[in-house]
Amino acid sequence: MTLENTQMSDIAPAGHGKLPGLRGRISFIDLMQSVGLLAVILLGGAIMSVLSPVFATMRNIENVLQSATIIAVVAIGQTFVILVAGIDLSVASVLVLSSVLSVGLVQFQGLSPEIGVLVALLAGLGIGLVNGLAVTKLRIPALIATLATMTIGRGLAYIYSGGTNIAPVPRFFVDLQAARILGIPAVIVLTLALALIAQIVLSRTSFGRSIYATGGNPLAARLAGIKTERVIIIAFMISGLMSAIGGLLITARFEAGAATAAQGLELAVIAAVVIGGVSLFGGEGNIGSMLLGVLLLGLVQNAVNLLNVPPNWDSVVSGLVIAAAAALDVYRRSYLEAGMRKKVIATKSKQASKA
Amino acid sequence: MGALREWHARRRRNIHVAVFVRSGRDGERSVVSAVETSFDAARPAGTPRQILLARGVTKGFPGVLALDNVDFDVRAGEVTALLGENGAGKSTLIKLMAGFYTPDRGEITVDGVALQADPASAHLIGVATIHQDAHLVPAMSVGENIMLGRWPGRYGWVSRKAQRERARAAVARVAPHLNISTPAGRLSPADQQLIEIARAISEDSKVLIMDEPTTSLSPPEIDRLFRVVDDLKANGLGIVFVSHWLEEVFAIADRVTVLRDGRLVGTEAIADLDHDKVIRMMVGREVREAEHKPRPIGDVVMRVSNLSRDGVLDDISFDVRAGEIVGMSGLVGAGRSELAACIFGIDPYDSGAVEVAGQPIRTNDPKAAIDAGIGLVPEDRRRQALVGLMSVRSNMTLGLFDQTTGYGFLSSQKEEEIAAREMKSLAVKAASSKVRVSTLSGGNQQKVVLGRWLARRPKVLILDEPTKGIDVGAKSEISDLIVRLAEGGMAILLISSELPEILSLSDRVLVMRSGRISAKLTRAEATSETIMSYATTG
Repeated sequence: MTLENTQMSDIAPAGHGKLPGLRGRISFIDLMQSVGLLAVILLGGAIMSVLSPVFATMRNIENVLQSATIIAVVAIGQTFVILVAGIDLSVASVLVLSSVLSVGLVQFQGLSPEIGVLVALLAGLGIGLVNGLAVTKLRIPALIATLATMTIGRGLAYIYSGGTNIAPVPRFFVDLQAARILGIPAVIVLTLALALIAQIVLSRTSFGRSIYATGGNPLAARLAGIKTERVIIIAFMISGLMSAIGGLLITARFEAGAATAAQGLELAVIAAVVIGGVSLFGGEGNIGSMLLGVLLLGLVQNAVNLLNVPPNWDSVVSGLVIAAAAALDVYRRSYLEAGMRKKVIATKSKQASKA
Repeated sequence: MGALREWHARRRRNIHVAVFVRSGRDGERSVVSAVETSFDAARPAGTPRQILLARGVTKGFPGVLALDNVDFDVRAGEVTALLGENGAGKSTLIKLMAGFYTPDRGEITVDGVALQADPASAHLIGVATIHQDAHLVPAMSVGENIMLGRWPGRYGWVSRKAQRERARAAVARVAPHLNISTPAGRLSPADQQLIEIARAISEDSKVLIMDEPTTSLSPPEIDRLFRVVDDLKANGLGIVFVSHWLEEVFAIADRVTVLRDGRLVGTEAIADLDHDKVIRMMVGREVREAEHKPRPIGDVVMRVSNLSRDGVLDDISFDVRAGEIVGMSGLVGAGRSELAACIFGIDPYDSGAVEVAGQPIRTNDPKAAIDAGIGLVPEDRRRQALVGLMSVRSNMTLGLFDQTTGYGFLSSQKEEEIAAREMKSLAVKAASSKVRVSTLSGGNQQKVVLGRWLARRPKVLILDEPTKGIDVGAKSEISDLIVRLAEGGMAILLISSELPEILSLSDRVLVMRSGRISAKLTRAEATSETIMSYATTG
């Protein structure tokens, strides 16, 4: 679902005789989602560059993007889960567990860094599998199942690390953080690459289609022969894996196995995904818009820092922005859907009067 | 609130008052005005007093006239049975009496007071409705449920003592074996129903409407329910009893009112009726003999043997042959959709087997059923077949990934080929294959579901109410399609509540009743009367 293959002429305003925006590969609402978010981001950026001389510098923008990478990578996984109408609260715990394992296995157990990374990723997949099995086979609501693994995961990370950061990190992480590809920090390139793969999987593969169908109407998907339980389990495993990759990124960024980092990150991730237009009811949303949601949140955080908002106030400001963005989203969506319904009714009565 | 209390007090002294009630946003009811009326109008001696009177009631919904100029009355101390086929207008009439709808024309009065279109005022005026399945709050006690929304006390504090006493008095009349502190969720369906009756009694109701109260009850429970009904009758309540089971109607009713296609067929005293006469009144219409061309019938394609599911299906055996349309008739709740769900692997079954072309199919696995060559067009297409957020094309090719993917990647070209082919052959009316499926009309949505199965070429196609909620034009298109598919050698199981559809399309007819197959009829044996008879008795 890229923006460029839909022309603006597709979004015919109401009353132009064709069904609005349902023709391209992307729906009208999806497009408005992206356009709306992009407009807010550009507007916010413009205001910020007036208010703060530092904002529009290359250094600052790179910094915003780089700190957004961790949330973005975790949010990619979370998107798969929310698309199947689930939720994954365990992402931050998986992230810190992966972070401490990737360093600790080298520091404490003397294993090679490759093994450390591999085990960290497998731990993420494993917790995702447990989440998926709990939700599908035991029929525990996703909120509760992942709340349990969230608490367990964080606990295991503390136990393993002794509650402190583990350092120094293997050379590999330092190199990853410093590396640049065509002048762009490698972590940003990596994040974009993962996002691209995720988007292709969602929009171009039968698995992606099954994800949307399972989230959109699980019963209909099952009756069409889709193994919906398997789809849900894999979505949770993807979320676990992406969170574990986020753990590796945080290790590189902090140059430590960070047991105490990422407090409350799961909520920031869910907020970003929802702001990015992924419906909490499942079946609706795409990676591109979702990334804009992540970017908006990163921008707010950056603005709060640059404008010297007192530290105790920055979470209040972030919360207000989340609430405003979500409220705007709900408003715009209901406005658009009401327009679309009217349109459909008008078209139907026109067809009826012709017949 | 003061006015309401006063009104209750007056009603207890048997002074009839017209009330106009407004429901506040928080659910609190307030009496807007109350006018006293008197009802000592002279009436011929020996005729029971008319409590509820519906005159010339007409109610339409988009595309359907559900009730057309219907007269109906309920008399004190009598049970009036309300009968009719599925879709005859019984539910609409009940909902009008319960205050859920306003009639388009005509009016309903209770003891001379016009009924307002508001369930709360219907309750206040004395009409209580007991729905098919009990509407109780499972976690609350029996007593709390009986007094639900009318908790005695003041300033929002519930007086537990008053609640207990009033609930106990009501329970003692209908279900003395129950303890009022038991959570309602732990009661059997039969006892839950009695609790609803107790609630109606505690409201001083004058008319009690019972909508198929016996569907989930065992014979001894039905006997107990009937004893309670007799007792209420003796106390002067007017009772409306809706049931599909004619034996029950003859056991309990004093009068029978029959509706057909939204019109009143007639009201007769039970003494003037017999079983056959009631069925003639219900079916009545002339059966249009659609031309039925004989088709070559092939080998058995699907065989269902001794399929049972506890409490739902009882020892179901039948087969469907290639090129054959087997109609499955029966009343709502007879277990037809449940049977389809078991065959298709949506629900598990306890014993028995489903075979396609001699190969048994794994239970509770729709994918296995599909792979074996079964297709299902379910009854509720929005809930069970379509993903509303997705396009027509994606819905048409949902689950057809073996045809639309190469190495796991979807080919939009292949998807479009399939969608365009099926949309053309089924004449789906849509702006393009990319519009959301939820924007299509019911008939076109159904064609999308059909197209998905046709693209897969199943050996057996199960159609559950395929023309439900579809306009007449699309209906006949779908009927023609069913015949064409059978001519092409597909085995078809057609579940339908519409007798004309069953009679005109089927080569054989199976009739279900209470989870069993009560009759297997040949085309010659199948008439409206025989089918209705096996569906309601035997």
